[in-house]
Amino acid sequence: MKLKGRALVPGNASGKAVVIDYISFYGDVDVDRATLRDGRSLKGSVIVARASRGSTVGSYVIYALARKHGAPKAIVMEKAEPIVVTGCVLAGVPLVDGIPWSQLSKIREGSVVTVRSDGTVEVS
Amino acid sequence: MYLTREEEAMLRGDYGEAVAKAMQVIVKVGEALGAERLVEIRHAHISGVSYGNIGDPGVKLLEELAEAGAMFRVPTTVNPIGFDLESPGFFGAGASFASGQARILRALRRMGAQLTLSCTPYYTPTVRGIPPGSHVAWGESNAVVYANTVLGLKTNREGGPLALMAAITGRTYYYGLHLDENRVPSKAYIYRGRRLDEARAGVLGEIVALEHREENPPLVDVGGVGETPLREFLAALGAAGNVGMAVIPGVTPGARWSAEELREKVEIEDADVEARLSRIAPTSLDVVFLGCPHYSLEDLARLADELEKLGGSKIPIIVSAPRGAVLEAASSGLLVRLWRLGVRLSGDTCMIVSPMNVKGLRVGTNSYKAYFYLKRKGARVGLAPEEWLLELAARG
Repeated sequence: MKLKGRALVPGNASGKAVVIDYISFYGDVDVDRATLRDGRSLKGSVIVARASRGSTVGSYVIYALARKHGAPKAIVMEKAEPIVVTGCVLAGVPLVDGIPWSQLSKIREGSVVTVRSDGTVEVS
Repeated sequence: MYLTREEEAMLRGDYGEAVAKAMQVIVKVGEALGAERLVEIRHAHISGVSYGNIGDPGVKLLEELAEAGAMFRVPTTVNPIGFDLESPGFFGAGASFASGQARILRALRRMGAQLTLSCTPYYTPTVRGIPPGSHVAWGESNAVVYANTVLGLKTNREGGPLALMAAITGRTYYYGLHLDENRVPSKAYIYRGRRLDEARAGVLGEIVALEHREENPPLVDVGGVGETPLREFLAALGAAGNVGMAVIPGVTPGARWSAEELREKVEIEDADVEARLSRIAPTSLDVVFLGCPHYSLEDLARLADELEKLGGSKIPIIVSAPRGAVLEAASSGLLVRLWRLGVRLSGDTCMIVSPMNVKGLRVGTNSYKAYFYLKRKGARVGLAPEEWLLELAARG
């Protein structure tokens, strides 16, 4: 499957998909373990989400994950908001948005997702 | 992106390394979002102040900026820290937590922050003096929604570090809720039910936040509502969703909309709110937590009056408030009254941003926002109005 979005923070990366509907980086993420609260590992993953919500501390969570070497390789969303953009800019994590959740939600958990700096997202 | 000559000079480093670094981040974020230019701000509010929330990476970021000579160019208030400065141990902060927290405070003080340590900057006199329509850069989701909805200030939901960079440069990117056309509501939500208490207001906020997928704000008719339930409603919008503003008739200054622009109208009934509330209400309690967002002096006085009628509490009631409110309560005798009634009043912090271990703890709160985050910290948390929680607490 090949999808086309907007590269908000451009970069090339690939990792295994962690699919979540809405994510509040503060609250849903355990920074020390680099996992979601449900135990799924974020280190080296590609987070695929509809959108982010909740706390404005979310940017620091993404940044702290990167400083502790637990960051996702990339984040793909239907709609990214400033909190996530700021976190990805500081952490150097590629961010793509503009792909409808109806398509993103079809990505299977654990499948390999490759993000390119032109906003292309390939799923294999 | 278009930059003024002064902004270009900031980016180049003419104003020092710290300003240049802050400017780089703002420009990058603005360009990513498609902003055409920057906008000058009147005030900043910084979130991500508790050591528990930002950890060592956050401490280093703040210290590097302070070390590089960063100074806030606009009045800047800051969010709560991880403990009550006058009794650090109460919320479970050990020595290493306290030392990380102290470094954060030192860096913020050095850059010129007003150390309000509160999530309700909208009650501070300096903020009340800013005319509606002014641009600000605020972190803290509940404060952002309050600023846009009630004060008529213009801010996006800024991430903590972005609000910090905005304070250092006096600028943020001109995007989103800074533009008037993005402040016009696109979809209406009409609540037709009983007068909202704090818990029901929070549930209504959750319903609207999850339903509202539009770029522009929701128009919400909440009916007649008091200040505390209004605050809880707005906080719930910011926690359960990514809503940065609501337009509330009779509340939002300068609100304008036409019926034709409202694409859709959603009616929310009493039963919708009751059904959700009954699923998340507490049955038994170890502790009551109030003051998310921070309680005001008026809230504290009401709490004392209500609790007095019930003869006090048999279980601990933990209440968070700004230090200023705690000091005023102390000087009027309210603090002692609350203490005798079983209330533990804390300044500077709250249960959510503290290192307190709440796993398995049965917490009753009147705040949907606290419900949202305490659940994620492993508490067995229930949501109910203050009145109901106090009755449970008085019975023990």
